[in-house]
Parts: sequence; structure tokens; C-alpha cells
Amino acid sequence: MTGADPALDRLAILALSGTAIAMLVRPRHVSALARSPLLPATSRLTRNVARSAARQLAPPPRRATAPRLAHLIARLAPSPAATQAAGRRLNSSAALLAFSVLADSAVEHYRGSFHNRAMYIPLVTGALTLGASVFGIADKRAARHPMRDTIYGAAAVTGLAGLGFHAYNILKRPSGASWLNLFYAAPIGAPMALALAGLLGRGAEKVRDTPYRRRPLVLGLPAGRALAAVSAAGLGGTVGEAGLLHFRGAFQNPFMIAPVTIPPVAAALLSAAAAFPGRIINHLARWWLRLTALLGFAGVGFHVYGVSRAMGGWRNWSQNVVDGPPLPAPPSFTGLALAGLTALSLIEREYDG
Amino acid sequence: MSADARETPRAIGGRAPDVFRVGGWVPMRQYDGDEEVDFAIVGTGAGGGTLACKLAEYGFSVVALDAGPYWRPLEDFASDEHHQAKLYWTDERIVDGDNPIQLGSNNSGKSVGGSTVHFAMVSLRFRPEWFKSRSKLGYGADWPLDWREMWSYYTEVEDALKISGPVNYPWGPKRPRYPYRPHELNAAALVLAEGAEALGIAWSPTPLATVSAPRGRAHPCVYRGMCVIGCSTNAKQSVLNTWLPRALEAGAEIRDLAMVGRIEHNDSGRVTGVHYQRQDRWRFQKARNVVVAGYSIETPRLLLNSATSRFPDGLANSSGLVGKNLMIQANQAVWGIMAREIRSYKGPPSLAITEHWNYADEGKDFFGGYSYMSQGPLPLVWSGTQSSKRGLWGQRLIDEMERYNHQVGLKIVGECLPQERNRVTLTDERDQYGLPVPRVTYSYSDNDKRLIDHSLTFMRQALDAAGATEIWEETDDTCHLNGTARMGDDPKTSVVNADCRSWDIPNLWICDGSVFPTVGGVNPSLTIQAIACRTADRIKAMTARSGL
Amino acid sequence: MADRYPGYDVLNKRNSVSWNDQTRAVIDKRMAIDPEKHTYFTDHEWPTLRAICARIVPQPPDRVHPAPVAAMVDEKLATNSGDGYRDARLPPMREAWRRALAAIDGEARSRYGRAFHHISALLQDDLLRAVQEGKVGDKWGNLPAKLFFQKRLLHDIVSSYYGHPAAWSEIGFGGPASPRGYVRMNFDRRDPWEASEAKPGREAHARAENARVG
Repeated sequence: MTGADPALDRLAILALSGTAIAMLVRPRHVSALARSPLLPATSRLTRNVARSAARQLAPPPRRATAPRLAHLIARLAPSPAATQAAGRRLNSSAALLAFSVLADSAVEHYRGSFHNRAMYIPLVTGALTLGASVFGIADKRAARHPMRDTIYGAAAVTGLAGLGFHAYNILKRPSGASWLNLFYAAPIGAPMALALAGLLGRGAEKVRDTPYRRRPLVLGLPAGRALAAVSAAGLGGTVGEAGLLHFRGAFQNPFMIAPVTIPPVAAALLSAAAAFPGRIINHLARWWLRLTALLGFAGVGFHVYGVSRAMGGWRNWSQNVVDGPPLPAPPSFTGLALAGLTALSLIEREYDG
Repeated sequence: MSADARETPRAIGGRAPDVFRVGGWVPMRQYDGDEEVDFAIVGTGAGGGTLACKLAEYGFSVVALDAGPYWRPLEDFASDEHHQAKLYWTDERIVDGDNPIQLGSNNSGKSVGGSTVHFAMVSLRFRPEWFKSRSKLGYGADWPLDWREMWSYYTEVEDALKISGPVNYPWGPKRPRYPYRPHELNAAALVLAEGAEALGIAWSPTPLATVSAPRGRAHPCVYRGMCVIGCSTNAKQSVLNTWLPRALEAGAEIRDLAMVGRIEHNDSGRVTGVHYQRQDRWRFQKARNVVVAGYSIETPRLLLNSATSRFPDGLANSSGLVGKNLMIQANQAVWGIMAREIRSYKGPPSLAITEHWNYADEGKDFFGGYSYMSQGPLPLVWSGTQSSKRGLWGQRLIDEMERYNHQVGLKIVGECLPQERNRVTLTDERDQYGLPVPRVTYSYSDNDKRLIDHSLTFMRQALDAAGATEIWEETDDTCHLNGTARMGDDPKTSVVNADCRSWDIPNLWICDGSVFPTVGGVNPSLTIQAIACRTADRIKAMTARSGL
Repeated sequence: MADRYPGYDVLNKRNSVSWNDQTRAVIDKRMAIDPEKHTYFTDHEWPTLRAICARIVPQPPDRVHPAPVAAMVDEKLATNSGDGYRDARLPPMREAWRRALAAIDGEARSRYGRAFHHISALLQDDLLRAVQEGKVGDKWGNLPAKLFFQKRLLHDIVSSYYGHPAAWSEIGFGGPASPRGYVRMNFDRRDPWEASEAKPGREAHARAENARVG
């Protein structure tokens, strides 16, 4: 087993344990399967796929080191501080996104009267993700943490499940996937913020766990580029969500155009920098990402103004904070922009060698 | 608290209330009574208020008089049905005929801003064919207007009011996207939607004249559901907070608490101005043109009341049609009970609509069309429906009313045909101004009854399909008023021409719902405002060419 | 019938953001109406009116602040506040009421030998039902009993009752709502400032929620 990817380790352990259990419970079926041509064919296929993937993605060949030893070396001689800082910055991004989800889903699910018990889950997961991320920021050790890993994984799964719940909520109403339901049923894009928190958090842990003298990898890909893809996609999705709700608000205030113009440019520049890095494009991407990060905070300010703009203003908070522009939503842009900036710095180091 | 708007005029001393600021004022140009203004407009509702704005913006001098008070919605409006009766025309009127109609809160406003201060904000376009009902659909009368011209005026009005409507509207020719997005549906509207989908017909969020997002200084709707007793949020886009602020800025004068009793004319048969009562005195305003926009009862009342030896049957009445062809719209409903909580008092009353039977010509044994909408009656209206209409009282009423939060209903706006026997006339009784009290006579035609039966049968099915039980029919209700000074292209069969100019007196105009030759199956407010915009354009064009 | 909204009182929201100044002024005035005060109806007519109101809109006998329905009807007649239309077959409101009260009381006396307000509730209901169906004697003269019952009697009495906060609380109406309106409009959803319905077995829960309304 290769020591380079603990995830594959775990998958293998799972598969073996599963087989062992199956042999205990259903021995006849297991032996029938073993005798069939299916198993050799599957193992041939798996080997071929793994080989071709490894060829494409493998880092330059290095001296093989026993997994435990490699881990020990990583602890004693960690990768450069810059990599560790990048990891912790990714924890920050996850924190911001988790905070945004926690606060936003709390208000929105409160508005929904928690009519489905599952609506408590994103609050719990969001809080745990936020806690884990803060822990990650404070934790200076150059390693992943299994608890943080698990929580981030749960966040990713919860986000995806939330997407399913929200889609169902939209589709079950009269007129199904119509503009009306996209406006007023469960917001389709909101759970993805939690999924992104989870993904970026996993990325954070992976980067932190980069062994000595190895380049940071995420899912077997160079970390910078992989994270750039995730950030750009995340920015795109958040633009869609903000755009949908600002469209619902008829763009009645000219500033509402900002979240559908500034972040897309940032996402485009980030993707360009990932594919064709260069001094100028990196520079542009960095500044647009910083602008997008600022937009996240400005957005909260605008939404505060929006709440005051509604009937009764802040005095009518019991209606306007729930009904009005979502105060905790804009920081998602900040979280993703920071992740993009981190990705950019990793990309630059990747190309420096 | 400021002085009661019903007692003392507010639009005096060179200023008018700023409806967007508590205690605020805007400057208002004022004219003397013997200053001959270009236009004296009687009534500041959907017709008069809109016209006052457009004419003032085109540079004409305009005085618009209204019998009603100048409300400040943010301060004056209480959340109470009894108190808010102050918005309605509650002066005495007599009703008779086979089907005497309900007036007052049902369809008659007395406010600066007219009935739009209390209306339910439903803003729908006519089906194009209705403008040629006689030639294209075989009933009623043709309008002397082309639907394509009206289409662009509808767009102007929808933009002026920032109508909140669906992204795609299922019926009729394409129209530009509504300026604001539709409102969220409440449970009552969802019941309409579920019923429609079960029966396989299209439905839509209703285009409403109340904003779903901030607009200028107006707040977005807070879904308090008290639209028909006055919007204290200023979300409702009534004439009071849309056309009139523009009119004031363009130099028009609004005269509140000014009841016009008589239109004066000279020996050449041209009108010269209006006699009106304000602050307990009769006064006179000179004008080059007079526009009557008092809606379908006050307009013919004023014209008939201005009779002289020269015009013994009233002004503009050589056709004899002033006051005749009164049309209401059928407003029958079906009601039922749901196991789920509905609480329809939340949100505007008609959040969802189907115009299926306005556009479908097959499967009907009647001429004309109807739309139906979800409902949200407040306690007084609902208890009135259960008692006076359904006959319940005593413990039975109390028990039924206790199920208020589970009731749900569907109500039509149904086209009734013009009939000359339905009319507004004058009685010998006198009101508080000393003016003759009007009599309003109404009877359904057989066609109307067939339309009503069809609608009740269909809506019953729809409500049943949505899961309602104990369904019963409310058969006695009407809405809106139209037709008593119809427009046409022949002076023998109409009172005004396509430009709302009376055939008999070239400087006497009528610009309100009374000019409708037919009424269609949709609420009239959008069409009235579109006609007013068109009339202003026509006046501008005619003045440029030859002067009026 | 058991209390559907136990412990719910719209007046609990009087000082909340659901009521504005104008509303408070209006409702305070209504709550201050003296239930016994009658400026229009005579002392002779008054008990008849009170008895009719008690049959048309019966209120729970243990209600702490019952709606002063008869006094509200009297106020309407005293100010002659019309609704803006009158069926041609009916005389003006004041005259109609005067004659009708006399007719109803007269009917009771001729049927049972006692004033209307002295006969039993059951007999009062019978008599009112007869009026509703138009099965009355000559005491009505040319005043159409059925039409009066439907358009005037029911209208004036029922609208008085359901214009009072006691009735609003009874039916679970949200009551005054400005500046604060409503957030949750879907099926089976209530805002924390709305009435909580006591579903079977959940009366205590509803009562607790209604105690928090404000």
C-alpha cells in the first residue's frame, strides 16, 4: 500500500473488513463470487485504472519510504512554514464559510420552524465545522487531525444532503422548478456553502499534512490548482445564489449588481492563473480576489442597511432580520476569496519549484 | 397627531402632504378660483389622478379636486376594519333592481387617490380580443381602441407602479417583464395552485401593485394582509403614492375635501368650470377644460346634476346613455375548510390567479370570461359573509367563525354584459352637501347567470381537488363599477369618443372606469390608468396641432 | 366549544411592534366603551337590543372583558354611520331599527305575553328565526322582516362583535399588524406573535405558546 494517500488506505481497510464480515455472514455467496470470473476481471480493471491514474498524477519518483517513517519525518522536519500557513489559511476559509452557514441556516431554518427535524443538522455540523476550523487555525502542528478531518467530511456530506433536501422542497411545491419556488422555497445554493467548508477544510488538513520535501497535493493533484478549481467553482455557485436573490429583489439598489460582477471576474482570473500562471495574471487575480474578500464584508454592511430600509427597520427585527436580506450570507464570498488567494500562493510556489 | 384629514383640508397654504415622510410636506402650486386653469379634474383616482400627473408633466396647468381626505398612510392608517371605513364612500346611496349591489367598502373609495387607496392591487391587462368584443367574440360592444396601442400604455402603467409580477405570465401576448418579482404565495394561494394543477389548468402568481422589494422611499410589503383597509406600509402603489407625488412636482394642485356639485357651462355650450364645496362654502374654479373622473356612480351623478335648460338631460347626454350600461363584475365565491391551517389573513388577499376562463372559448355556454383568485378576508368581511350571506347566527356562527384559520376560498372576477336597464339615476333625497342622492339599479342578465353558474361549478371542483371539505357557495357578491359613460365611435351610441372627449361638449372629458363599453374578466384599475395615459398623450398631440 | 386558542389575547401585542399609535388610539377607545351606555336607543328599546345581541353573537359567560356589542350598535345608530348604500326596500337605518325592535318586542308579547328580553333563550331564538325566514305578523307593516334581518340586524350586530378584540382572540386572528406584519405564510406555519391552535392533546403546549405572544 502506498503511504502517500491515507484515504486510499482507509478505503482498502474498509473493503477488506467488509469482505471479512461478508465471509462470516454469507460464506456461500462469497465463495461463489470468488469462483466467478467477475473477481479477476474487476481486479484487472482496478489495477489498470490505478496504474494509468498513477502515471498521470504521480509526483516525480522518489525513494520509497515506509509510511510510518515518512509520517515521523514529517513531524520532525515539517514542510516549509509557508505550506503550513497556507493550510491554516484554508482552515480560516472553512471557518468563515462555516460561520456563514451556521448563522444563515439558523435564521432560515428558524423561519422554517424546523418543521423537519433534519433542519437542526446543518446548525450542529456548521457549529462543529466552525469549532474545528478555529481549532485548526490555533493548532500550529504540521499535521492533519483525524477529528477535524471527520468533521470536515461530515460537513461535505451534510452540504450535499442539504442540496437534496432543498431540491425536494422546491420540486414538491406547485409549479416545481419555477422562478417562484427558486425565489421562495428552500434556497438551492445555500447548502453548498457547507459542502465547500468541508471540502476546503479537507484541503486544509491535506496541505498541513504535506510530508517533508514533498509538494502539497490534494486528491493527488497539485494543491494550488486543485484548490483554485474548488474556490472558483465555489465563487461561481455563490454568485448564482446571490444573483438569484438579487434578481428577486429586482436589483432595486444599484449596489446589488456588485456580487454578480466582481466575484465572477475573480473566479475567471483565478482559473486563468491556475491554468496559465504568469506575473501579470497572478497579480490581477490576487487583487480581484482581495476585492472580492472585501465585498464579503461590504455585503454585510449593505444588508444591515437593507434591514433598516424595511418597514419598522431594526425595531421590527423579529420580522426584518428573518425576512430581510440575509446578514450572514455575504461572508461566504470572503471565505472563498481567501481560499482562492491561498490557492494562488500555492500555485506560485509550485511553479517556483 | 395631526388634525383629522376628514375635517380640515391638508393641501392648502402652498403645500401638500408628503406621503413618504411622517409629518412631511411637499410644495404645491396653487391656483385661484378665477384663474382659468387648463384642466379641472374631478376625482383623483385611477383615472383622474393619473391624468392629472401626465397633463401636468406635459406642461398643462391642472387642478384636481377630490371629495375625499388627503391621507398620510404611514400615520393615519390603523389596523382596524371599522376605523378604516373612513376610506370608503359611505354617503347614502340607494340600491335596487333584481340584484341590488353592495357599495361602500365593496367598491367605492372616498380619498385623494380614489379607490386605489383601498383596492386589492390586482393589475391585469385586458385580453386583446375584448377590445373588439362585438366583432371578434360576438357580444357586448366594440371599444374604439386598438389593443396594440393599449399594450404600450399598459407597459407604461406597469412600470410607473412597479408591478410585482411573475417572470413569465401564462396568458395573452408577450409583455415586457414585470418591473418587480412576484410575491411569495400564502397558503390560500397555494390551495388555488394545487387545485389548478389537479384540474390541469394554468395558474400564476397575481401581478400586484404592491412592491416586493424597496422602491424609492416606499417599504416592501410586510404581508399584514390589510390591503383593502389601507396600506400603512406604503408598499401598495396607489395613485396617492405614485402618480400624485409626480403630479405635485410637475406643478399640479390637488384640492382635498372638495366635493364638486355642478359643472358650469356658458351660452356657447362649452363648460367653464366647476362648483365645489370646501370648508362649508361653495366655491368655483374656472377652467378651460373639465375632466370628470369620479368613477361610475359619481361621474353620471355629476353630469346629470349639472342639467340646465340648455341640457335638460344633463351634460354630454344627447345619446341618453349617461348613467346607463352600469356594469359590475360578478364576484361569487366558493369556500371550504381545510384540515391544514391556512391563516389567509396573512399577505395580500389575491396572491394567486387563474385566467384560464378568460382565454378559453370552448366549453362555455355564455359570452365573456372570468378569472378567479385566492382570498384572505379579514374578520368583519368574513363574519359578514357567514352571517348576512350564509345566514348563520348564534352559536352556529360563533362555532363557524372559530374555524377562521382553516377556511379557504376562490372568488371570481366575472364579466357581466352591458345592459341599458342597469343605471345610475337621481332620487329626491338629499345628502349632506344638498345634492341629490343617486339610485343604483342592477339586475343580472341570463348570460351573467350562466357565467356565474359555470364558475361556481368549476371552482367547487378546484377546491375539492385541493382537498377542501364542507364546500359552500357564496352567490351574492359583486365588485367594481363601469360603463355609465361609455366610449364609442358613434355619438348616438356613446357618451365620449376614443380620446375620452364627450361628443356634445368639446371641452368636457370623462376619464375613469365609466368609459368602459365592456368590462372583461379582469380588475379594471390597470386599464383605467392606461386609458388616462393615452388620453393625456392624445390631448398633448391635439394641443400641439391645433390647440384645444 | 372548547377554547381553540387557549390563553391567546391580541391585546398582549398592544405595546409591541405589531401595533402603531393610530391603532392604539382607536382600540383604546373601543375598549373603553361603556357596555351599558346607550345614547340612541331608549330605555325601553335597550333591553330588547341587548337580548337580541346576546342571541346573535353569544359570548362565553365567564369572559372577563366581553365585547359591548349592544353599545357598539347603539353608537353606530347614534352617529348614523352608514355603509354607503341602502336597499331601496328598506327605510333608512335609524327608522328601520326603531320599527324592527318594536316589532320584535311586540311579537314576543303577543306570542308569549312577556317582553322579548324576558322570554327564554330558546323562544328568543325561535322568534329570531321566524324573522329571518320572514314568517312574521303584521307588526312589521311594510318593513320587510327577512331583508331587515339579513341586511341590517345581522350586519350591524355581527360586525360590531367581530370588530372587537375579544372576538379576534376567539377566532385566532392575528389582530393589528403594522409595522410588523407576518413572515411565515405557508400551511401550518405561525409566527411567534400569532395565535397557537390547541390541537387535540396539545392544549398545554398551545397555552404556553400563547402566553409568549407579545
